Amino acid sequence: MFTHSDGSVTDETLMEAVRNGELAQLGILFERHHRVLFDFLVRMTGNASVAEDLVQDVFVRVLKYRATWRGEGRFDTWLFRIARNARADYFRTRLPDAPIDEAADHPSRAPLPGDLLARTRDVARLQHALMLLREDKRELIVLARYRGMKLEAIADLLGVEVGTVKVRLHRAVNELRDIFLRLNESASWKTTNSVGSCPTR
Amino acid sequence: MENDKLSRLLPDEVDRREVEGLDATWRMLGDIETPGPDSDRMRARLDAVLDAIEHAAPPTSPRWFGRRHIEAGRFSPLQGLATAAILLVGIAIGRFVVPNTIGSANSSSEIATMRSEMRELREMVSLSLMQQQSASDRLKGVTWTGQLDRPSGEVIAALLDALMHDPNVNVRLATIDALERFESREDVRRAAIAAVDRQMSPLVQIALIDFLVKTNERQSAPMLRRLAQDPQVNGAVRSRAAWGLQQLG
Repeated sequence: MFTHSDGSVTDETLMEAVRNGELAQLGILFERHHRVLFDFLVRMTGNASVAEDLVQDVFVRVLKYRATWRGEGRFDTWLFRIARNARADYFRTRLPDAPIDEAADHPSRAPLPGDLLARTRDVARLQHALMLLREDKRELIVLARYRGMKLEAIADLLGVEVGTVKVRLHRAVNELRDIFLRLNESASWKTTNSVGSCPTR
Repeated sequence: MENDKLSRLLPDEVDRREVEGLDATWRMLGDIETPGPDSDRMRARLDAVLDAIEHAAPPTSPRWFGRRHIEAGRFSPLQGLATAAILLVGIAIGRFVVPNTIGSANSSSEIATMRSEMRELREMVSLSLMQQQSASDRLKGVTWTGQLDRPSGEVIAALLDALMHDPNVNVRLATIDALERFESREDVRRAAIAAVDRQMSPLVQIALIDFLVKTNERQSAPMLRRLAQDPQVNGAVRSRAAWGLQQLG
């Protein structure tokens, strides 16, 4: 199938053109996919600047390895495979930046209603917990939760069975919740044991 | 596009109450916001790479990406400034020096002096771009060295330094292309051999192996053999090293 029902050319057809030397078609693929890639990479790295560099690296790799595109699978799965490799190569040479700073526990000075403030703190701590997860577990959660990838697509990307994806996801979410609860306990302990830690405004 | 329902993604045998407990965490994950990308800047960077690819390699050997059917790139402000400076020097030569010196005994030596100054200016611009913080500017700097008639040792040293130390993979790749002009120099070939081991990017390692094969650098054989046999080395690099060994005989 070369076009979608709305008449737009499919990713696979565009990639075929890139492979055959029409490099300008890469611009269309970039426009279609760079946001999704950026979102994946910024959630994985916790650093927007690094995510931008990696997105660029991914598209350069698409050019470099365009001859290896066989047109047999989905373009986006191939693209994510390249993105995973680019990220792994990047962090092989350097330690990841501290993804979340302590700002998570010091929300904005702008006054917030009590419930909203508590919710904001919880979300910030959950984000912190996500960054504390081992990379492979974090990746699984990001792919399943934010990319909305079907289990079959994740299994294809990771090269495992669908059942394995389910089991690993179960473990990953359990571990995420445990870390989150520990962070919450630690924060409430700090609050109750600090003197005058929250001045009234 | 999000998977809101965790229950569909877990093994069937997981207890329903446990799923409900985890589901609260799963739903809260949906509230984590991320910054959006700076799409314009990212597109400009991609265009700069495409532009660099278009102009980096000599016309007879478009090794890096093959056919150059590429849309026009965008220029960085620094490059625009450098282009303007060179253009002004060129105009100055044409308008003031040449007419005034035609027929005079010193005309050819003055023109030669101006040309030399222009060459120095081009070199200076290339070297300056290669020192910039922005990777796309450094990429431009590497590309500009391809336009120098007779680059000095300083330019070659800067290219070798970029090959060894530039943090950006694209700059290092472009540097390998730029160094092809100097493949007859032993110090360049030696540096290429040394660089293979130092590179962490398989992409750059493969490009260097290609360079060494192209230059028929037989002294690289022991290093290629070691890479080909090292199970710790990236699979693609390993097979490229084995291929390189075959090519070198």
